[in-house]
Amino acid sequence: MAEVAYVSASRVFAGNPPVRAVDQLELDVADGEFLVLVGPSGSGKSTALRMLAGLEDVDEGAIKIGGKDVTNVPPKGRDIAMVFQSYALYPHMTVAENMGFALKLRGTSKQEIKDKVAEAAKMLDLTKYLDRKPKALSGGQRQRVAMGRAIVREPSVFLMDEPLSNLDAKLRVETRANIAALQQRLGTTTIYVTHDQVEAMTMGDRVAVLKDGLLQQCASPRELYDRPANAFVAGFIGSPAMNLKTVPLTAEGALLDGLTVPLTRSALDKASTEGLKEVTFGVRPETLRLAGADEEGMELTVELVEELGADAYVYGSVRIGGVPERFIVRVDGRTPPAFGQNVKVAVRDTSEVHLFHPESGARLEV
Amino acid sequence: MRRSIERHWYAYAMVAPVVVVLAVLVLYPLAQGVWFTLTDINESTIANPVLDRPATYSFVGLRNYLNVLSGDPSFGSFWSTLLRTIIWTGSCVVLTYGVGLGLALLLNRPMRARALYRVLLILPWAVPVFISAFAWKFMFNSQFGVINQVLGAFGLGQPVWLGQTDLALVAVVIVNVWVGVPFMMLALLGGLQSIPADLYEAAEVDGATPWQRFRDITLPGLRSVSSTVVLLGIIWTFNMFPVIYLVTGPAANPNTRILVTYAFERFFSGASRDYAVASTYGVLILSVLLVFAAFYRRALRRQEAFA
Amino acid sequence: MTIESLPIQVQAARVSLRGKRSMGRSVALHATLTVASLIAVFPVFWVLVTSFKPDARAVAPTIRLFDESSLANYRDVLSGQQGDFLAWVLNSVEIALLTTLIAVFLSATTGYAVSRFRFPGSRKLLLSFLIAQMFPFAVLIVPLFNVLLSLGLQGTGIGLVLVYCTTSVPFCTYMLKGYFDTIPTDIDESGRVDGLSPFGVFWRLVLPLARPGLAVTAFYAFLTAWGEVAFASAFLSASDESKTLAVGLQVFVQQNRVEWGHLAAASILVSIPAVAVFYLVQRFLVTGLAAGAVKG
Repeated sequence: MAEVAYVSASRVFAGNPPVRAVDQLELDVADGEFLVLVGPSGSGKSTALRMLAGLEDVDEGAIKIGGKDVTNVPPKGRDIAMVFQSYALYPHMTVAENMGFALKLRGTSKQEIKDKVAEAAKMLDLTKYLDRKPKALSGGQRQRVAMGRAIVREPSVFLMDEPLSNLDAKLRVETRANIAALQQRLGTTTIYVTHDQVEAMTMGDRVAVLKDGLLQQCASPRELYDRPANAFVAGFIGSPAMNLKTVPLTAEGALLDGLTVPLTRSALDKASTEGLKEVTFGVRPETLRLAGADEEGMELTVELVEELGADAYVYGSVRIGGVPERFIVRVDGRTPPAFGQNVKVAVRDTSEVHLFHPESGARLEV
Repeated sequence: MRRSIERHWYAYAMVAPVVVVLAVLVLYPLAQGVWFTLTDINESTIANPVLDRPATYSFVGLRNYLNVLSGDPSFGSFWSTLLRTIIWTGSCVVLTYGVGLGLALLLNRPMRARALYRVLLILPWAVPVFISAFAWKFMFNSQFGVINQVLGAFGLGQPVWLGQTDLALVAVVIVNVWVGVPFMMLALLGGLQSIPADLYEAAEVDGATPWQRFRDITLPGLRSVSSTVVLLGIIWTFNMFPVIYLVTGPAANPNTRILVTYAFERFFSGASRDYAVASTYGVLILSVLLVFAAFYRRALRRQEAFA
Repeated sequence: MTIESLPIQVQAARVSLRGKRSMGRSVALHATLTVASLIAVFPVFWVLVTSFKPDARAVAPTIRLFDESSLANYRDVLSGQQGDFLAWVLNSVEIALLTTLIAVFLSATTGYAVSRFRFPGSRKLLLSFLIAQMFPFAVLIVPLFNVLLSLGLQGTGIGLVLVYCTTSVPFCTYMLKGYFDTIPTDIDESGRVDGLSPFGVFWRLVLPLARPGLAVTAFYAFLTAWGEVAFASAFLSASDESKTLAVGLQVFVQQNRVEWGHLAAASILVSIPAVAVFYLVQRFLVTGLAAGAVKG
């Protein structure tokens, strides 16, 4: 058990110009916490994890585990266990040998290894397969062996690098829940890397969003969803993505096509002190609704309707300043509009809109 | 630099033994060999620790190079020998690659007895070269060799294969192809197996004929293997001493003389054992290959850029 | 009838449909391969046949499989009538095995370092290996002789082993590097996290996984040493009991007369270990060589 800290840690890859894969990362993970690192590919999330594992050099700053500076400690001295995307099971060893390998290297007695492997195998429903080689296992079973290998060691930190991305969709959802439950039971600090924001939102106590090596925001899933720190986080978290459009400001609010969304006084004041004529306006699909013919609303031409049963998502275009812009609206699944139809769209609750600086993307507090 | 050593010390530790061995047993001898080319060293001027005789050879500048490059027959007719070496290398590599590719393509199909064919076809590789050479020399013998006996049985001529004619060159090319095919075939077979099957399926769906599939999938898929084995094949064949020496030797046959065998001739035969000229040939061989390899790699890179 | 079994059936049907070859093409395929196999095997077979014939019958101008055939040649060769054959065998075995061991070890460590660690100079090292292939090694005999002399290794098996290593290590390193490249680095990293040092990863994970590549390397190194004549005759002392097989066999080639029957018998004896080693590793050859050549 231990807390983990990145102290303005950077990883710089040589090149011209040098690439700052992880840039001045500041992150504190509490003991027992499940922290998810999420971001698009190339965001540096895996590099950050590998720095913690000791597989990647730390060029600037430091990394601490349990309060101890481990920046220059090799992986084996860090008391961590890692689950790889490819699982990285040793092909020439049986499941039991794979799971007990780290203990064997530590000089644990044979009997103790056997007991611990058996215990972990029981927890993961692997008892039947202990004598098999990884080649003879299904994808899901391999994934569980990789988990078992980490659990057996009882490390102070679990590191998981996209451990679910090689599973099919159904198994992924199932395993997602299992990992989260397991982590709660063991109470081991866990850093989990994924590019899948659904995984991030459902599993993490907190989620850290990275982009281009820079930490965008680290907060609870709720907070990320409700108060994204910038336009990138707003667009990245949530599915389907938030509608983000740059629109002109008027004295009353944000001006969309045929619809003025009233903004609070403080928001307008803030915009005017910064001298902004326009603003990046964000509204989630569920915050939009279809409006009656006599109501004020944006004119939207339906281009696609995605029916999901209870809900339906309407994709359509709205002309803003003469340019067609794609909007997504969540509507009732039983009465969706038809393709090609023109509908009116209004904002359900104006307190749920988000405003961002049109250039920096930073959140304008409302 | 200090940082680099700190970070990579285990890499250097793992490489060090090879570097030391190569430096002592390749680089240093090479440097000494290059020095010899600038002297008149031979059996009578070299230091002889057994007789306790000091070295008496002296520096002669570029004389050896001038002698050799003049094409003087008493110095091995360098240019015509070079030409023969190129013919020898070219025909060996083309034939070896062609036969190897053909067999690899056949072996890459699912069929009965594939494993057996494969074992039999690789067998020539397993046999030590000096024994293969002896076997072929025996078979090529003009009086009692099995090849001429078979030719005679069919009423065909019974040529003197290993005499002082160009037929001897044909004979050693045959032997060298026989020796070289297994390596080529296996490497290409491995290359064929690394081409993803779905490429062929996609091409089939697109309506490609077998020939088109071969030209547009197989050949490009083999590019990297081919470029490697062809380069290696050229280098090895260029320096292929044992096959020629053992099949047409031990007396030198001018019709199968290539650069390496002449260097050896200079080295071993004759009373004087002319180390200086032998080394000169060695350095020239190395230079030719270096120049060739540089062009080869550049051509490959250009081809890659346009592919 | 479950839904899962359907695609399998469809696939099976497709395979059998595609797997079908017309009778004529099938015959042509097998005929070509049979002829090629015969050509590949015949010289060895002919030496085998000859090895049972007396020297005089071996050169008879008629084709006969058996002609006063007996085991007499083998008896003569093994009894050491023409030279200490058994001593030559021991020398050859010792030198070839030592070469194999050292060459595999050296090329494995080097190949691993080049494959895994992007250390400064690694590309130059590989390039220098390629250039090392270009040396007409035979021409380096005099300088090599001098080096071995000053190291006190001239005339010893060890000296010869080192020389053989220099000829086989560059190619073996290339091949093993290619093979190591096919082993995912995740395995290494997993090992590091599990508590292995970089050397431990190499020794306990990568080497066991690279067995096919190592087999090919061993085969290559063994053959290099087993069949080499030029260095062996230059660097080993002239005394009969220190010769290797390849050198020793020259006793059957007299000034103007070759004892073909005896030479054939001795050749077969020499080939047996090489072919045995070959048979042991042949199933690895394709994968091992492919990895090396494809990546090389």
